[in-house]
Amino acid sequence: MNIQGKAKEQNTFDAIVVGSGISGGWAAKELTEKGLKVLMLERGRDVVHVSGYEDAMKESWDFPHRGRVDKKSAEEYWAVKRTGYAANEGSRGLFEKDSEHPYKEKRRFDWIRGYHTGGRSLMWGRQSYRWNERDFSANLEDGHGTDWPIRYSDLAPWYDYVEKFAGISGQKENWDVLPDGQFQKPMELNCVEQHLRESIESKFEGRHLTVGRVAHLTEPTAEQTALGRGSCQFRNKCIRGCPYGAYFSTQAATLPAAKKTENLTMINDKIVYEVIYDDELGKATGVKAIDQNTKEEVEYYAKIIFLNASAINSAWIMMQSKSKRHPNGLGNLSGQLGKNIMDHHLSSGAGGVIDGWEDKYYYGNRPNGVYIPRFTNWGNDKRDFVRGFGYQGRASRNQGIPSDLSFGAEFKESLSIPGQWSMNIGGFGETLPDENNLMTLTSDKDQWGLPVIEFDAWWGENEQKMRLAMRDEAVAMLEASGFKEVNGYKDEEKSPGIGIHEMGTARMGTEEKNSVLNKNNQVWGSENVFVTDGAAMTSSSCVNPSLTYMALTARAAEFAVNELKKMNL
Amino acid sequence: MGGAISAPTIMALMEGCTPKSAAATPFKLTADYQKLVAEIAEIIIPATDTPGAKAAGVGPFIELMLKDCYSDAQGAHFIKGLDSVEEKAKATGGNFLSLSIDQQTTVLKEMESAGKAENEEVAKAKDVDAETGKVKDDGSAAEKVTPFFNIMKELTLFGYFTSEIGATQALDFVSIPGKYEGCIDLKEGQKAYALG
Repeated sequence: MNIQGKAKEQNTFDAIVVGSGISGGWAAKELTEKGLKVLMLERGRDVVHVSGYEDAMKESWDFPHRGRVDKKSAEEYWAVKRTGYAANEGSRGLFEKDSEHPYKEKRRFDWIRGYHTGGRSLMWGRQSYRWNERDFSANLEDGHGTDWPIRYSDLAPWYDYVEKFAGISGQKENWDVLPDGQFQKPMELNCVEQHLRESIESKFEGRHLTVGRVAHLTEPTAEQTALGRGSCQFRNKCIRGCPYGAYFSTQAATLPAAKKTENLTMINDKIVYEVIYDDELGKATGVKAIDQNTKEEVEYYAKIIFLNASAINSAWIMMQSKSKRHPNGLGNLSGQLGKNIMDHHLSSGAGGVIDGWEDKYYYGNRPNGVYIPRFTNWGNDKRDFVRGFGYQGRASRNQGIPSDLSFGAEFKESLSIPGQWSMNIGGFGETLPDENNLMTLTSDKDQWGLPVIEFDAWWGENEQKMRLAMRDEAVAMLEASGFKEVNGYKDEEKSPGIGIHEMGTARMGTEEKNSVLNKNNQVWGSENVFVTDGAAMTSSSCVNPSLTYMALTARAAEFAVNELKKMNL
Repeated sequence: MGGAISAPTIMALMEGCTPKSAAATPFKLTADYQKLVAEIAEIIIPATDTPGAKAAGVGPFIELMLKDCYSDAQGAHFIKGLDSVEEKAKATGGNFLSLSIDQQTTVLKEMESAGKAENEEVAKAKDVDAETGKVKDDGSAAEKVTPFFNIMKELTLFGYFTSEIGATQALDFVSIPGKYEGCIDLKEGQKAYALG
């Protein structure tokens, strides 16, 4: 396609951001605030803040199946359904129908997508933890993957920066394994969670429990209020979109900030599939896209390009971007593009019930739980696996007390009474980088004529050993803390992708021969292209990654603009 | 599901089922069986100082769920269960709706025992690999179905407590709490919270 003159001018910007999700929104905000004219391209439809959240104010009885998945939806959302919650009536509105976006899996891979303005920043879990120092040196320490080209000290000021803007509620604890951040008031633990915190503190040397650190406003700042955001109302219906803008999303936070600058052009329905690389100029000049509705092809041009299409899709774009300088895909001299897929493995943990606190309750639906940070291979702890895992979970009172009757009036009454306390904690485990965990482009085409992806990835030996510990340590902590009927579980079915933290496909590294990106998130050999979503991740840690994506993005955006000013790009 | 409904169980109910095939003819109850299902639901969750399952529309809800969310095999098994209820009723003295509440309760208790026995049979029949402790699955097993009384009761409780009547009257329903207090005294007469 070859467009000239005015049309080309209209499609030319200072910067293009591909993807409007949790990291793309940040790229748009940072670049527009620094004075660049930015085009943000989103492959999916628009979802307008508040008015676009169709299910946000509904109650259980507003759904014909009261939230359960019907057979037809189970087939349409065959991958989403594997999460166990995302295909539920009321929740699935913001997830993609897998039947419309096919992919292949050599081994089961759960690719969970949200294609619309804001991407999965509308449906994310909002858990937000900083990496610790050892997370960044982990690959160097145990030899898996390649060394990160940055360290915690490079990212620390950017964690400060993004936390302040996003608004993170959390409790300062001064633990080196889980560095404190810029926090708003923490949410409260309930009585039984407080009990477990005290019990773990006293009975398990070096182990801790805190309240989840979560991207919800509990004390909105003036900046947040000016963007139209309000305090969390503790409804816990977050996955449907928040009418109060109380949790961080593109719609609530970065998009209004970018719009305020008047430097943003946002275009929906454009599926970017290729970065245009000019071999003569030695740099990228723009992107190629196809309209998801009209199937019309279009090109946009810019001095710098940020790929924030999510880990799999950013790599997919780069794999389709071939040129003389980049014969195997953009930045792929190393052969690492599309490889080293990591996720967090879940569903290994324990639950139990506990007597006591019959005269205590709580008020409100807290959209958050407890967090037990990594303790394995930390301090004096040594295991038969490397790295570690954290736990997330919560305690609650069951609905109803035991009754001798199993139906009838008295039975009904018994069900209205707050019952026994129960608690569950489930592990989130780090996954090692392994270049055998990868995605490829098949010769199959989707409805837009673009290549269908095939995944070939599975948990490795380290993950399997770690999962045993995730279960057994959860059992140990609950039993030592007075819980009964403790049931340890380790779900063998859960596949890569289940954490919805897929990452690693265009990793950062120290040299072009071992990675796809340099220490500034620039693509090797195409330094005006930046990748700051999950694709960039060189290792996975065990903590939820989105806060780190935000920090990497803000840092890279500042670098990009400075380079532009210095005429280096 | 006897006794208390735990929060985890409610969440498990939210996860849905994995049907193996689309329905050839969609599940449908006759008018008589619709009345029967509504009556059984009302016996499980009767009107007390708050409305019961009938007022909460549980009967039609159960039919909708069996049609849209469960397999053909489960639907057929459910109807067999209703047939069995009527058989036992006739042996007592007439169709179920014509019996006294005590007689109806007896029939339902028999269905409950039958459900327990059915589950025990299934558990025994499972062939367990001695070395791994895992259930051998030769793939020839008929589609798993839940006994009539178990699914009747499960869907009644689920349908009732997620209905507007059940959630707002039988439980403590707070649409917009506005805050979270973690550890407070349980007030006199405090009901269990309705889950979103």
